Amino acid sequence: MRIEVLFPEICNLYGELFNIELIKKSCPDAEITETNLNDEPLCASETPDLIYMGTMSEKSQEMVIEKLSPYKDRISQLIASDAHFLITGNALEIFGEKIEDKDGTIVAGLGMFPFTTKRDMMNRFNSLYLGEFEGNDDLMKIVGFKSQFTHSYWKENAETLAPLFETLRGPGLNPDIKGEGIRVNNFMATYVIGPLLVLNPPFAEYLMSECSGKAEEITFRDAAYDAYDARVSEYSDEHTGFYY
Amino acid sequence: MAKLRFLVALAAAKLSIVALKITHHNGTNFPGVLALRICPDFIKYIGKPGKVIAVSGTNGKTTTCNMILDALTMDGKQVVNNRMGSNINSGIATSLIQNATLTGKCKLDMGVFEVDERSVLRIFPYLKPDYMLITNLSRDSIMRNGHPEYIQGILTKYIPKETKLVLNADDLICSGVSPENERVYFGIEKMPGDTEKCNNLIQDYQICPKCKHKLAYEYVRYSHIGRAYCPHCGFTAPKYDYAGYNVNLDDMTITIKENCHNGEEASYKLLNDSVYNIYNVVSAVALFRQLGYSREKIQEFFSKMNIVGTRYDIKEVKDKKIHMMLAKDKNAFAGSRVFEYIAQTPGTKEIIIMNSCQDDAVHWSENICWLYDCDFEFLNNDSIENIVVCGPRVKDYRYRLLLAGIPDSKISYTDKEIDAPDQLKYLDNDNIFVLYGTDSITLGYKVAERIERSIK
Repeated sequence: MRIEVLFPEICNLYGELFNIELIKKSCPDAEITETNLNDEPLCASETPDLIYMGTMSEKSQEMVIEKLSPYKDRISQLIASDAHFLITGNALEIFGEKIEDKDGTIVAGLGMFPFTTKRDMMNRFNSLYLGEFEGNDDLMKIVGFKSQFTHSYWKENAETLAPLFETLRGPGLNPDIKGEGIRVNNFMATYVIGPLLVLNPPFAEYLMSECSGKAEEITFRDAAYDAYDARVSEYSDEHTGFYY
Repeated sequence: MAKLRFLVALAAAKLSIVALKITHHNGTNFPGVLALRICPDFIKYIGKPGKVIAVSGTNGKTTTCNMILDALTMDGKQVVNNRMGSNINSGIATSLIQNATLTGKCKLDMGVFEVDERSVLRIFPYLKPDYMLITNLSRDSIMRNGHPEYIQGILTKYIPKETKLVLNADDLICSGVSPENERVYFGIEKMPGDTEKCNNLIQDYQICPKCKHKLAYEYVRYSHIGRAYCPHCGFTAPKYDYAGYNVNLDDMTITIKENCHNGEEASYKLLNDSVYNIYNVVSAVALFRQLGYSREKIQEFFSKMNIVGTRYDIKEVKDKKIHMMLAKDKNAFAGSRVFEYIAQTPGTKEIIIMNSCQDDAVHWSENICWLYDCDFEFLNNDSIENIVVCGPRVKDYRYRLLLAGIPDSKISYTDKEIDAPDQLKYLDNDNIFVLYGTDSITLGYKVAERIERSIK
């Protein structure tokens, strides 16, 4: 399994690189390619089994948009041909039409999907997250965290794309909708931050197996599921507060 | 009208101080909260001391602020301060109220305030520091602080232009604050144990601010702390005005060379052997020199100082040592420093990790992303015989430790923190570390008392 990590030198907030570390520990034959800002992305010429990009600062978003703009058509082609992407946190916003800051600043995105991000740097939105992901034959619970200055809104009258997760508790792409993230073929993007795969062993095993083409198991499986089951139970409890 | 509202707020706050004293509720921020509720721009109108020093930064601001206060007190100064209160606007308002006359004039000439990084927007429009010391800027609570570049931006936006800054040159996020302000830099020259490559999970300043190529380090101490340069365009970190070197942990001293004063130097007592506390000393010396104190006087200050017990404390009981250490909850950067320190401490060790956020456990559920920014890998060390994890996030800790390569046989767990001492092995000449968070200090001391009773 060959994995390309896009811009780990700047897209590395909130423990998210441990998503890749977990795959390395679970699939020792996984080959990781780290693409830096001044490198030519591997996916420009090849099709890695998984392309990963994580959360970054607001300034870094602009650098990443500038860097990826010349590869927009290639990324569309990869998505159309079922290449696997996992995009977490505000890396999702890179693929939208624009990021509008409350201070009036507007940053043009890659424009690949019809949504706009609204940013308010004086307000941070914090919540837990509980949702469901549809795997090959089954629904699996997703647990995690959201902590962001932004929300994203689908363009009016545009075709709304399928969400990655259906929300059970917590906000979706914005507080008014239940759909969380974006799923187009195997392009998977979510606002859920942090070590998503570590926290969600069923989803991690689904993703690793899909990418490698064979059944994969998460390392220290029992301990991982023990923590996961406890968190699913905790987040499903209506007495557990969900917003910070 | 505004002045009248201020006077009403001041009178109400002053009365609340009396009421709090009668009911033995000292040390709260209630007077400031009340005053700000009545008069939101209360800090604008209340009298301020003639000279104001602010101390901020992600880690070390409380310790450094306490050092500065202790020294100034030794020097006979009466200083307005928020040591007993909070570091947000209500805490600072409370300290100003406590030291104001009934008409709102400040009774003292000097103020030293610990200031929460995010609260500067509510404080600095009205309270303009003459000097501001920033210890460092790194990842902190994800929920409050987002990421350090965001905090750097807030500080740059709100620090008054006339404030002179004392900044950490070994931290490019810190040294980049308010680039237009007058400043001096402190830092520590290459130390034994420094490397040229970062081995930490958190590496927050990897690319050159000028050309975006990857930075290299003459030496890196941890994460982005070290001396960076860009091999591509020649960018370098700022030069030290106050350069710590010749750290002697046997004598517990450091020499500080003043490049801004013809390279003159002096040796100062260290208060603790951890790197971050060595930085705190260097930063405080830089500030004292800026305030005009002689090197001899500063040496005298440090010779009489200690770090307060709630941050680090050690107790010897028979052949064992109980180390009490604050490992700020939800702060991976601080946690990594504590883990590294423990790994480097000689001898056989056991650790109780009980720094889950207690408050979060009551109100929702702790965001544990920080566990995966924190270098638990330091604890994968032969000299650490047993790690006890406990509290609401016990299963998360166990999985994190396993992923750090620590064998399950070395991990013990219990739900309640107070039961953690039962999981210790009490080995010969054991060093037992109790790591508590900012809201579990009292619980940490109760656990330590139970350990002590078990040893006796």
